Amino acid sequence: MTAIEIKNLVKSFGAVKAVDDVSFSVEAGSVTGFLGPNGAGKTTTLRSLLGLVTPDSGEALVNGRPYTSLAAPLTEVGAVLEATSFHPGRTARNHLRIMCTAAGLPAKRADEALDQVGLADAANKRVLGFSLGMRQRLALASALLGSPKVYILDEPANGLDPAGIEWLRGFLRHLAHDDGAAVLVSSHVLSEVEQTVDNVVIIAKGRLVRQGSLAELTTNGGEVIRVRTVKAAELAPALEAAGAQVESVDDGVLRVRGLDTEAIGQVALDQRIVLTEVAQERSDLQKVFLELTEGR
Amino acid sequence: MTNLVKAELQKLFTTRLWWILLIVLLLLTGVFLAFFIGFAGVENNGAAGIPATDDPKWAQLAWTTGAQMSWIMVMILGVIMMTSEFRYQTITGTFLTTPRRSQVIVAKLVSGLVVGALYALAVLVFQALVVIPTVLISGGELSLAESRIPQISLGILVSTALYAVFGIGLGALVRNQIAGIVGAIVWTYIIESIFTAIPALQGVGKWLPGGASNALMSIDIDTGLGVPHWLPAWGGALVLVGYGLLFAAVASATTVRRDIT
Ligand SMILES: Nc1ncnc2c1ncn2[C@@H]1O[C@H](COP(=O)(O)OP(=O)(O)O)[C@@H](O)[C@H]1O
Ligand SMILES: [Mg+2]
Repeated sequence: MTAIEIKNLVKSFGAVKAVDDVSFSVEAGSVTGFLGPNGAGKTTTLRSLLGLVTPDSGEALVNGRPYTSLAAPLTEVGAVLEATSFHPGRTARNHLRIMCTAAGLPAKRADEALDQVGLADAANKRVLGFSLGMRQRLALASALLGSPKVYILDEPANGLDPAGIEWLRGFLRHLAHDDGAAVLVSSHVLSEVEQTVDNVVIIAKGRLVRQGSLAELTTNGGEVIRVRTVKAAELAPALEAAGAQVESVDDGVLRVRGLDTEAIGQVALDQRIVLTEVAQERSDLQKVFLELTEGR
Repeated sequence: MTNLVKAELQKLFTTRLWWILLIVLLLLTGVFLAFFIGFAGVENNGAAGIPATDDPKWAQLAWTTGAQMSWIMVMILGVIMMTSEFRYQTITGTFLTTPRRSQVIVAKLVSGLVVGALYALAVLVFQALVVIPTVLISGGELSLAESRIPQISLGILVSTALYAVFGIGLGALVRNQIAGIVGAIVWTYIIESIFTAIPALQGVGKWLPGGASNALMSIDIDTGLGVPHWLPAWGGALVLVGYGLLFAAVASATTVRRDIT
């Protein structure tokens, strides 16, 4: 069953169309990055998925059902929303224990979850004194209480230091790849999730602009091989004869589509042309992200 | 549902608010009791003032001391139970844990009733510890029936518990903590006081929660402004329960469908 499924979701706040006909899905065992600049509609989409916001139309389903109809939601879905949603006067452990009580989970889950996120030492401290990073860890602990198989995280890297971000990446990969969970993680900073995600969904101004695997996105429109040689003018027609599309870039550099590196090497050998560079061109994901989200 | 009520009580007892409010309540009750003892038997320009401490009417009056303060404190408590969820955005976690929001509201209302009753019990015990020795030391005799102590106690218990429900409803309606607290104080301490204390306004005042609570306690002592005319006790009970249902309806109507962003 599809872990997370969003179908034609629409939500307006007054005149602002926060989410405009967005559809995508997330499968178990994968991490999906939900990317878009600030104000793109990520939070609204995730909150609709969690039954906190009622969409104008469309569906947002977890394990095939609306969140509000789940009998024991904490055991199916772990969610991290704002870093600030704690009572400052309450201790970390008590915060989690209250959730355990309401969800009918054993109280010991609170300590286990604190341990998992590295907050065991701060269990009896009031949240008042917590750094933003500690609050994010506590939020993550609350998502872990019911040991769910679906995780929905809204900008969980906000406020984490580089070591914290590294830890989070490892943790999310572990949840998806070792525990087989479906992880949906939003961010407005591509580099935060670039190394973690298997799939990406990009939205801007409420509209879906791109979705696919990370590999598909980086090889934007087919693989391109970059070839450098002093005899570019001779190599180009030979490659074209072998079935490639060739684009000539200045300084004896060719961008070749439709042949792999081995085939290009063979053509060069046949023509007795020396190649000084043969490399697969990866489009810079950051550039793609900016191009996709700019001006929309 | 028991789990949810337990969770709501846990929310309350894991922060400092409950004991701060309780101490303030007992302190204020103590101050008013001291006033009733100090001015007992003092005549008011020849008219009836506060009865002497050995008069059964004094015990009756003194036994009502904490009522209004209990209503105020418990209503504030109810307001904060609701508004702090919005102030600190813990409502997000609450609704993630229990997405059927009406269940959360019911659990809050039930735990409010429980805590309101506990506050009332604390006030009643405190009053007993002051009033009983005072009466006995002054040579009077404590007659439960003559001083209507059982009925007043029950009245305080029920009305105070219901004020928690009023507070929760008000909190859900305004959502802003300061506005809610100010609203609760202005309502219970100023508006209700005016309408229940001034005889000419009691025609309206007896229909307000404060007047209905007084009816429930059947207070009919003349402390200088004339004998008040409340509804019969059962009428007061009905009016109070009516307000309880009204505020409960307000709490769920304003919360169940609202977007939490
Ligand atoms: N409660 C709200 N009332 C009015 N507008 C809102 C509300 N929540 C979000 N918006 C608007 O909806 C759009 C999408 O916001 P959001 O979902 O928070 O985006 P993101 O999380 O991608 O930054 C923004 O233009 C934002 O101003
Ligand atoms: Mg956001």
